[in-house]
Amino acid sequence: MSDPQSLQPRLSPPPHQPNVPAPGAAPVPGAAPAIPPTGPDEVALLIDDRPVVVRKGATVLQAAEKAGILVPHYCYHPGISIAGNCRMCLVEIEKMPKLQIGCATAAAPGMVVRTSNDRVKGVRAGIQEFLLINHPLDCPICDQAGECRLQSYEKDYGRGFSRFAEEKVHFPKRYDIGRSVLFDAERCIKCTRCIRFCDEVSKSHELALFSRGDHTIVGAFPGRPLDNLYSGCTVDVCPVGALTWKPFRFKARVWFLKNVPSVCAGCARGCNVNVATFRNRIHRMTPRVNADVNDYWMCDAGRQSYETLYARPRLEQPIVRPLPALPGAPEGPRPPAEADSPWDGALDRAAALLREVARTGGRDSLAAIVSARLSLEDLYVAKRVLGDLAGIPRLAIPSHEEGEDDHLLIRRDKTPNGRGAELLGLGAPSSSRVREILDDVASGRVKGVVVVGEDLLALPGIAPPLLDRLEALVVIDWWKSPTVERAHVALPSCGYGEFDGTVVNFQGRAQRLRAALRPPGEADPAWRILRDLGRRFGLANEYASAPSVFDEIAVKVPAFAGLTFRALGDAGAPVSGAAAPRSAGAPRAGA
Amino acid sequence: MAFEPLLTRNIHREGSESIDAYLASGGYQGLRRVLKEFTPEKFVEEVKTSGLRGRGGAGFPTGMKWGFLPKGREKPRYLCVNADESEPGTFKDRLLIEKDPHLVLEGIIASAYAIECNLAFFYIRGEFHQGCRTFEKAIAEARARGFLGKNILGSGFDLEIIVYRGAGAYICGEETALLESLEGKRGYPRIKPPFPAVVGLYGCPTIINNVETLANVTLIAERGSAWFAGIGRPPKNTGPKLFCISGHVKRPGVYEAPLGIPFLELLNERAGGMLHPSRPLKAAVPGGSSMKILPASKCDVLLDFDSLAAAGTSLGSAGGMVMDTGTCIVGALLNLARFYAHESCGQCTPCREGTGWLVKILSRLERGDGRPEDVGLLADIAFRIEGNTVCPFGEAIAWPVDSYVKAFREEFEDHARRKACPMRAAAGA
Repeated sequence: MSDPQSLQPRLSPPPHQPNVPAPGAAPVPGAAPAIPPTGPDEVALLIDDRPVVVRKGATVLQAAEKAGILVPHYCYHPGISIAGNCRMCLVEIEKMPKLQIGCATAAAPGMVVRTSNDRVKGVRAGIQEFLLINHPLDCPICDQAGECRLQSYEKDYGRGFSRFAEEKVHFPKRYDIGRSVLFDAERCIKCTRCIRFCDEVSKSHELALFSRGDHTIVGAFPGRPLDNLYSGCTVDVCPVGALTWKPFRFKARVWFLKNVPSVCAGCARGCNVNVATFRNRIHRMTPRVNADVNDYWMCDAGRQSYETLYARPRLEQPIVRPLPALPGAPEGPRPPAEADSPWDGALDRAAALLREVARTGGRDSLAAIVSARLSLEDLYVAKRVLGDLAGIPRLAIPSHEEGEDDHLLIRRDKTPNGRGAELLGLGAPSSSRVREILDDVASGRVKGVVVVGEDLLALPGIAPPLLDRLEALVVIDWWKSPTVERAHVALPSCGYGEFDGTVVNFQGRAQRLRAALRPPGEADPAWRILRDLGRRFGLANEYASAPSVFDEIAVKVPAFAGLTFRALGDAGAPVSGAAAPRSAGAPRAGA
Repeated sequence: MAFEPLLTRNIHREGSESIDAYLASGGYQGLRRVLKEFTPEKFVEEVKTSGLRGRGGAGFPTGMKWGFLPKGREKPRYLCVNADESEPGTFKDRLLIEKDPHLVLEGIIASAYAIECNLAFFYIRGEFHQGCRTFEKAIAEARARGFLGKNILGSGFDLEIIVYRGAGAYICGEETALLESLEGKRGYPRIKPPFPAVVGLYGCPTIINNVETLANVTLIAERGSAWFAGIGRPPKNTGPKLFCISGHVKRPGVYEAPLGIPFLELLNERAGGMLHPSRPLKAAVPGGSSMKILPASKCDVLLDFDSLAAAGTSLGSAGGMVMDTGTCIVGALLNLARFYAHESCGQCTPCREGTGWLVKILSRLERGDGRPEDVGLLADIAFRIEGNTVCPFGEAIAWPVDSYVKAFREEFEDHARRKACPMRAAAGA
């Protein structure tokens, strides 16, 4: 499924992009365009006098895309089946009396296609006019304004004025079609993308068309709202503003949003996403096309995963607390925290605490628990600093599993970097290894613990008194978790979307997380905090940036040999020898 | 030689729908002959030689359509009988189904034999309650007599027929929408290619034939292709044909005549002429409501595929509709447009939005709110629809609008200018 040839025509140019000649593809004036020779599985044709070679089975629309010619379309979406109902992609093909739809017409050898002559332009303007006659034209309040194909195509192909003097057909507005999706039936152009998505991709079949003619309406079956785990994708595929994502409605105009390509951290799939920010706040996450990972889709849980960033109190400053009470002392209210401390003092205190525990109880009385939600860079520096330099003998990674792997994208493993941890030699996430450490805390064998990115008190069966037994609890995390509140030293790290880094998904694909936000207060990426802590244990002037950490990983960890941070690009790259089985790839429609 | 009506030979007999009546008139002899004397390939050739063209509307040569089936037999082949007749002005298939179902059944069995199909589907319009009951009874009778089921008449050929009642949508008469409906889905036309002969019902090669077409296959089986090809206007307009006639005529009904009968003969001699002697013919749609209208001055035409095409219209389903001078053409078109807007399946943009728009403009014109530019707009909307839709439904509304406006432009303009329907105004309405 990762054949780059098959991918080529699937990556649509933006709908509003007017036709521009492809570099080097324009015909020489006066010269007859020639159809180039082809291989056995290829087809050559002429589109607007440009010779194009495509694989057999490609459609005229896909061939045009390859030639840099945009054939406008509404109902065609490369991730779902072809419906051919919007008729916007009609093109003229020599020897065919009627115009043909580019989305469903297979490119044939020697075919001569015209996509923008007067006949085609006239029909497109006609289709635009038909689509707009019953459309409410409420762009000023429509959430799709700025990314609506009706708007874009009207500008590029429309008549520019309306001949419609009648009463529009009225439909329900703001119809609650599902838990997270609102439907405005008047804006719907009946392209059926949403219906086909539910039939073919989510396979949940909630939506259908009802009634006929210009009273046709998309709806959910009674008692079965649009509540599948991927309902947000219906909003993504809607080419107009009919389906809107409730959490995003009226939050921001899309032209104010800054889209940063990143990866969802909701589970081990690592769906490629665009993180859209405005005024240093994430307003939405939408899937970014990657045929090797998530195709065009992402789940609703992932789409809303950023909300935890705003739902929990942030840890914005390093916190240093008084030394713990002596073991066996009666429980009571925790003493208040000391005033916010500067980084140097907090790191000094953390290092001193760990040294003191090691001095009094030996190295074996120290342990570390780090999260597979951390980036590869965080984990690598954690291993180097905590394991090699601070000499902490045991480092465990909790596993977080929930639900089941589904037929599409969702993975039971809710950590984005479990595979990365494994490849770094930290071992696979394992709850039993964590449990052993906590048992040793309970028995008094472990007296000092460093926790990075985990809330130990959220683990099953762990109660606050257990942590009170510790003589040193150093926590690096992005929020004021219950564990942070019991830490002797708490160091604020960046939350999702606030740091650059890399994660390796369950398929063994290294992908880049990109910083989209400025972190609050004094928060820093975990690898940098660990680096600074490491300097207290003798770390030289290493690790200037996330890329430099990754590039060292590529040199020192054989699995990452040959990769560079820059080369990962937006699509990521498979880690050598870590390829997942074929079945683990992104599922396709109809698969 | 005088024309001998055969498609309607039984319909006036008492109990014409029973197998006994049918056998008494020589029924099923054609099937015996086919099973005995013809291989499937030879019978396909026989139908090709007869020149039979489909009677559902498009007039595609039946034998040629059968010849499009792929040669291999990796998948089963199906025969679907299109009994979803619902074009306004067309009611001939219903007559055959209700009055002479065995004539149709015999044609189905012979056709299934020709295309080597062992399972046929009889897709009948949901509202045809009586037709459905009659046909199911006919199937049971035929099975009981050995004309259906296993080893038909000892030939080794097996056939079962499933009767499927549609939900009553005009679009399901379009062959691919019929297949979708038959598969249990919403009746939406499919994008072609692939054509049903290659990828049809359940993805298998499928032939879809109209009821009257299959009744004609019975006649070919019975009397041979040479006889059939000698009727009508050979070589491309052969055989008998059922013509419907309705509207302002004395005797509306179904009349059997050879292809190529003059329209005026059908009107004046068969249908008894105009209903009101004081109101002469104003216009006629010879081919059914979806075809182009002919003003009276152009009605001196022969009723066959090629003659009507030359006259600027089509034979279609031969559902002739006659309008006298008391007819408001705008009102007539509005009536028709309402039907098509109601029946538009809503799948593709031009038809879904365009038909409703046409109705709104025509309604305004008819009630006296028209604008001069509406006349040109009507024609332009029809032009934007025609040829740009998934199925021929687009033409079914575009052709009438275009032809009504072209033939009676002054009448439309008069509505817009006077801000009223002149006929209703004259009648004091």
